[in-house]
Amino acid sequence: MNSIVCVKQTVDLQQIRIRKETREPIMENVPLTIGDIDKNAVEAAVRLKESGGGKVTLVSAGSEDLEETIKEGLAMGADEAVLVVDRKLDGAESFVVATVLAKAIAKVGEYGLILLGEGSADNYSGQVGPRLAELLDLPLVAFARSIEVAGGKLKAVRNMDDCLEAVECDLPAVVTVLSEINEARIPAVTQILKAGRKPKEVLAPADLGADLAALDQKVQTLANIAPLQERKQIMFKEDADTAVAKLLSALQADGAVGRY
Amino acid sequence: MEKFDVIIVGAGLAGLATAYTLAKEGFEPLVLERGDYAGAKNVTGGRIYLNPVRGMFPADFWDKAPLERPVTTEIITMLSGDAATSLRFRAAEFAAPPYQSYTVQRVKFDRWFGNQATCAGAMLVTKSRVDDVIVDGGRVVGVVAGGEELGADVVVACDGALSLVAEKAGLRKPGQPQDYAVGFKQVVELPEKAIEDRFGLPAGEGAAQLFMGALTRGRFGGGFLYTNKASVSLGMVVGIRDMMDGQPPVEPGVLLEEFKQRPEIAPLIEGGEAVEFSAHVIPEAGYNGVGKLAGDGILLAGDAAGFSLNMGLTVRGMEFAIASGVIAAQAIKRAAEKKDYSAGSLSAYRTLLGDSFVLKDLATFREAPHILDNPRFFTYYPELAGRILRDIFSIGIQPKERFGPTVRRHFGLADITGILKDGWKGRKL
Amino acid sequence: MIKPKDMKAMLGVNVFKHSNKPHIKIVPGKEKDERLLKIIYACPAGLYSQNDDGEVTVNLDGCLECGTCRIACGPDVLDWYYPGGGSGVQFRCG
Repeated sequence: MNSIVCVKQTVDLQQIRIRKETREPIMENVPLTIGDIDKNAVEAAVRLKESGGGKVTLVSAGSEDLEETIKEGLAMGADEAVLVVDRKLDGAESFVVATVLAKAIAKVGEYGLILLGEGSADNYSGQVGPRLAELLDLPLVAFARSIEVAGGKLKAVRNMDDCLEAVECDLPAVVTVLSEINEARIPAVTQILKAGRKPKEVLAPADLGADLAALDQKVQTLANIAPLQERKQIMFKEDADTAVAKLLSALQADGAVGRY
Repeated sequence: MEKFDVIIVGAGLAGLATAYTLAKEGFEPLVLERGDYAGAKNVTGGRIYLNPVRGMFPADFWDKAPLERPVTTEIITMLSGDAATSLRFRAAEFAAPPYQSYTVQRVKFDRWFGNQATCAGAMLVTKSRVDDVIVDGGRVVGVVAGGEELGADVVVACDGALSLVAEKAGLRKPGQPQDYAVGFKQVVELPEKAIEDRFGLPAGEGAAQLFMGALTRGRFGGGFLYTNKASVSLGMVVGIRDMMDGQPPVEPGVLLEEFKQRPEIAPLIEGGEAVEFSAHVIPEAGYNGVGKLAGDGILLAGDAAGFSLNMGLTVRGMEFAIASGVIAAQAIKRAAEKKDYSAGSLSAYRTLLGDSFVLKDLATFREAPHILDNPRFFTYYPELAGRILRDIFSIGIQPKERFGPTVRRHFGLADITGILKDGWKGRKL
Repeated sequence: MIKPKDMKAMLGVNVFKHSNKPHIKIVPGKEKDERLLKIIYACPAGLYSQNDDGEVTVNLDGCLECGTCRIACGPDVLDWYYPGGGSGVQFRCG
């Protein structure tokens, strides 16, 4: 069975610094990467391929740096990539991204699963997966913590926080995965080098008949600033037992720890 | 085992210069870098002297390089406990292009240099640590990275001052405290205009300021301040032996904080935002610290080879790293023509280095570490300068003495003997 | 005098990527080595400290990978290697 994994190029969040005066993130020169949960999705697809055969195609939309960034996913074991490249696609809203990805997926050919992370590393809106399922008219299994393909069906366990839900559906289907589904592999040097030579189809939105300017803007970002972190600066300087007891009750009073 | 022409360990200046030069010669070198990107683990004080290496690269290379400010103003400051004596130097020659030196931030520069090397045809793999070297019959035949064995005709160890690769290959012994210093610095962001106003610089120009004296509390070392485009790099370098044995003991963080709080420094960085704290060891043994440079299937370049020179008023390392990388590439090219990567064949590397400024400068200043390893430079002279100038400039209630006797009072027999001794030792510089 | 809190603030602006494996280990039996006692004062990040038993311990959070302790103590006191690829400090200025 062939799988498609949709991944997103984002800035490396650990490298972001906040400008003190404006509380805005400083994005200049921040390295680009594929989101961590996206890598879990790639890992899941590669494991399915390793056990059941088929090929893994990465589909992504973003700026021209994507050709370089996508190598991370190819090095993990994906076979090829279909990239929709346009500067405006970096940071584009979920609706636009899902529309473009759906059109790109239509070019890929036969597939059984479309995998995504439950949400992107940067905006984490968690919308692209569900929108894609809607646009392609496929069943959606969101928040999967384990997946299994057998007899032309997908079996998955979804983590609903307070319970687990086991589901089954027909293929093809769209699945969004949780980070707990696996531990993404760190590719070996030779795999990284081979990734550069794997087939990549680079398309412009126009090649897919997508006119970015014509797509209705549904979301407007008003501000993107870091929350103010006020430190309470309370110190308990008594002996260990008293200080711990006081700290604990202060934390409980703040609702920072439970009262079990 | 996958096989490569050349594996270069470390995407610093030496490694990238080797890779860039080899790629231009048609090789496909593989650079392995453990950081997230080239430069992620690299630290400088920061200034680079370009004249010795300018011609080793295409004409527009240095124009495009993301350097900070050309250094047009040199300041030397001797600090005593409560006084500072500065010498400020600016010459028209230094203030016109081609500038001889620039301040630099390694992450910006090395990331760019890494791109230049890959565009030229080198392969750069980041986030990949070399765990070991593979030795077969006394010959280095490759490395182990991330658990994977990678073969190579020749391995170039450009893994920095500690060079664990050279150690594993048996070319070096673990470093000793007396041969190394530790540099630690903060980068403090300031508006460009503030930098130019505070340092009295024309727009776009930069200053390099070196400090010696009380800031190290008598320990071997000094301080530095370099103006970047929109930040200053402020830090210190202290000998590791003195850091360990100096009494009473004091942490680097405390020394740096004291330095920053001095009235000569505090106003320069006031209102700035500290955006990074970094540290790195620096080889300080000079020529005498240069050991084996080649073995069967392996070369050492840059800090890994010990190519660093503290001449007191100028501290150099980066241009040695770049030049040694370029020369390593030339030596590899010769070896490849003969298909002979033995130590004998690769010994052309040392010969070529011997003809270049790298080993020549190191040899010329081979006595510098001994001469500089003199506590009087870090206490006596800065104090003396402060005392004399204080007397010259002070106007008290008493009638003022002539300058001659004022100055002479500071030179007893012991002082003069000491200064003559230092001068005699210093003649070798 | 710089307090540990200030050192935390100095290091706090850096980018550190977590590593699962400690890259510096004190060789068993060397916890009270003279060189280790000295590195408490030489480590730029202040990562070494002495516990109540007089043994030196190291906390690698905030390690600048500068190499000072490797030079000061040598391999017979410290089992020292760089953290794995893509982990540890990632400088943004350098």
